[in-house]
Amino acid sequence: MEIMYVMIGLSLLMAIGFLIAFIWSVRAGQLEDLITPALRILPEDSKIQKIIHKKYEGN
Amino acid sequence: MELLTSCFHCGEDCTDKPISFAGHDFCCHGCQQIYLLLSDHSLNDYYTCEKPPGHIPSARNFSYLNNPAFYDRLILFTNHSISKSNFYLPSIHCRSCLYLLENLNKLDQGVMSSKLDFGKKELTVWFKESLINLGELANLLASIGYEPILDSEEIVGEKQKFSNQQKSLLIKMGVAGFCAGNIMLFSFPEYLGIDNGSFRQLFGFINVALGSVAVFYSGSDYFKNVWTHLKLGKITIEAPILLGIMVGYTRSVYEVLSKTGAGYMDSVSGLLFFLIVGKWFQQKSFDFLSFERKYTSYFPLVITKLIDGEQRMAPLQELKVGDHLLIRNQEIIPADSVLYKGSSQIDYSFVTGESEIVTMKEGNSIYAGGKHIGKMIEIEVKKDLKQSHLTQLWEHQIFKDPLFKSENWENFANKVGVYFTVGLLSLALLVGIYWFLWDPTKWQNAVVSILVIACPCSLAISYPFALGHGIRWLAKFNFYLKDIQALERMAQVDTIVFDKTGTLTLQLGELPKTYFNRVVKNEEWEHLYTIVQQSTHPISRQAQRFIAHLGHTSEISIENIQEITGMGLESTIDGVLYRVGSAKFVGFQTKAPTDFYRSETQLYIQIGGQILGYIEFPWENREGVELMLRKLQARYDVYLLSGDQKSNSANLLDWFPKEGHALFECSPMDKMKFIHELQQAGKKVAMVGDGLNDAGAFKQAHIGIAISDDHLHFTPSSDAILQGKSMIGLPAFFKFSNQGLNLIKISFLVSLVYNMIGLSFAIQGNLSPLVAAILMPLNSVSMLLLAQVGMNTLGKKLKNKLKSYPSRSICDSNHILKTDKIGILEN
Repeated sequence: MEIMYVMIGLSLLMAIGFLIAFIWSVRAGQLEDLITPALRILPEDSKIQKIIHKKYEGN
Repeated sequence: MELLTSCFHCGEDCTDKPISFAGHDFCCHGCQQIYLLLSDHSLNDYYTCEKPPGHIPSARNFSYLNNPAFYDRLILFTNHSISKSNFYLPSIHCRSCLYLLENLNKLDQGVMSSKLDFGKKELTVWFKESLINLGELANLLASIGYEPILDSEEIVGEKQKFSNQQKSLLIKMGVAGFCAGNIMLFSFPEYLGIDNGSFRQLFGFINVALGSVAVFYSGSDYFKNVWTHLKLGKITIEAPILLGIMVGYTRSVYEVLSKTGAGYMDSVSGLLFFLIVGKWFQQKSFDFLSFERKYTSYFPLVITKLIDGEQRMAPLQELKVGDHLLIRNQEIIPADSVLYKGSSQIDYSFVTGESEIVTMKEGNSIYAGGKHIGKMIEIEVKKDLKQSHLTQLWEHQIFKDPLFKSENWENFANKVGVYFTVGLLSLALLVGIYWFLWDPTKWQNAVVSILVIACPCSLAISYPFALGHGIRWLAKFNFYLKDIQALERMAQVDTIVFDKTGTLTLQLGELPKTYFNRVVKNEEWEHLYTIVQQSTHPISRQAQRFIAHLGHTSEISIENIQEITGMGLESTIDGVLYRVGSAKFVGFQTKAPTDFYRSETQLYIQIGGQILGYIEFPWENREGVELMLRKLQARYDVYLLSGDQKSNSANLLDWFPKEGHALFECSPMDKMKFIHELQQAGKKVAMVGDGLNDAGAFKQAHIGIAISDDHLHFTPSSDAILQGKSMIGLPAFFKFSNQGLNLIKISFLVSLVYNMIGLSFAIQGNLSPLVAAILMPLNSVSMLLLAQVGMNTLGKKLKNKLKSYPSRSICDSNHILKTDKIGILEN
């Protein structure tokens, strides 16, 4: 039964990992705009624009 | 014969002759230009929406943005080759807008890339300043029909603050959910009755650790709020909640540490989670709206100063008494001044509620907030910005107190909270004393269970959920409430005060439109002018004014003119037969059913047996106003407050028959005072208005509702914003708010029954943690369901009701009027 201690510890660690991921996503603003991405996929997009988006997204 | 053609670009009805270009019709050269520009850059996909997506371009010049005062504010990032800036574009409305604005780089080489936030109506642009500067970029946006609006720094700061609050609440919610879920997992052995000493202890410790995070991190707002209110000597609903949580928490920690039990940590953290979800849900934000606009938002950001005969652009703050300013057509006068050069037509309707346009000559005083119509004028500033006639309203005490409304009003939850807390504490005390005397082993258990089980969490959950749903439903019908408290205040209203100009009647300034199938000759205009002059019918009067406006005022003498009552006028001039009147009279066949509202405002013309077309006059009253007022009068005391003169509102007076229920020539201050007087008499007043002149009344009233047309950005600070076309739904909205509040009261009763059951166990001192753990979340979940199902039912009822109204477009963009629904008007 000692293995249970290890498993409980691991499961908690994993869960905390997901919690951290959630907090990071909120802070990074991923949940801020939930409307536009859904509309954005509707029209055709040119390739160049996608590349530009990627490049300057961080600024 | 089909006369109406809608513009391919903007969808507006084309007046006179549409411009045909590349197989499409356009209403104006502006729209055609945009089409040309877009097709040149192969952006034709813009027009793939079901409806024409465009807007008429704006001719405003934004080059002043290059002024350092604005440049620093608007540029978010720059490394001197690439810059980033944000624009708020209120006219964004569909996916075509998204397509065009995110392809801005195709229109101008200087634009690197652009990204749109649809909810906030905000466009972020990365651009090369060597190729396009900030002013040119704004001009580009305006020229394709998306005029940027620059918000004041206050509003931007407020929005940022709100967004940060939302983020922090979301994280707290996530943490509480995480803790609650894991605690429940670790409590499983306890639920199943598995008894293993070492694990039990380990799980207990983990639960305490997780529970502490939930209580002290996620629940930190409760500590802060209860403490600030206690310092003011107030008890809110949050006090007994925090008490329940803390008692449950302390007891659990004690049980785990003393190895006497497993505690209630699962219930405590689960409850916290539900509470925070409720809090998050009630904070519905309408990112694209601002409820806090002050007068400064309407004033120009820049002024054109005249210094030694030279024009210089300067920020508004640099305005001084004695300055000479240039004011162009359609610009707002920024401060009380004297007209120095030129003559002006000034429209004060938005700031004073006066609907007549005033003509001003050199030497006349003009007041801040008026909109200048006409050629460019020069004015001399006489008063400081803050001392002007209009802005004095904002110097009033109620504008300086940010908590004016919340301090003077107690909501249902908090009112109940006081009684609840007192009742709960006395019950716990009595039961504690009883058991202490009869069976000292039980008193602790009983008191703790009472405080935990009776915590009024259900009220704290059903209140935000029900009202949060409520404001979401109302937003579907273009009625946007600032917060859930506004919805509750709406339900308490017993008196409604209406403003006149812009609210019940439409703003002036719109010219009649002509729908002719050929060009009208000058002599024909003169003939028509002579004919309509013979009649005193209101529409003939309007036609006469309109033709005079076009510049045809010479009369000719005619003899054989006939007026056929209810039909129109007929005359033969130089052997040509003229007929002017209703569609039936001239033999005009419309494809669309002649609808109820428009038929009265159209004047059809037939010349020499040929139908020429018709003139459509803008209607003075908003559609459905009479029906709406009658419905409201059946339930509420309804008043009219107008800044206008009595003579301008003859037909409105019939709708306010009661003595003293229609007041005229009210200044913004008078309106505020009037509402204050009503409140002194114990009334709960709703103010419905549109302009800056109502801002004081909005603030003073129990709830202030601002009516707005077009893109909803032109509204003074208020508690709610209602789009003009949905105003007919106002009686239904008020009813909806009442039903919503009733739902909360029902939920409260249901939760009391729950609590009674729980308490009956708790008082006997034999409530097991298991029962508490089941009862508490069950109570929360049932409250949540009740709010959800109840509000959705009410919302659907509201939707069906609004659909039956003879209005053009409350629920959707369906423009066809159902004439058979007019029967409602008679009921």
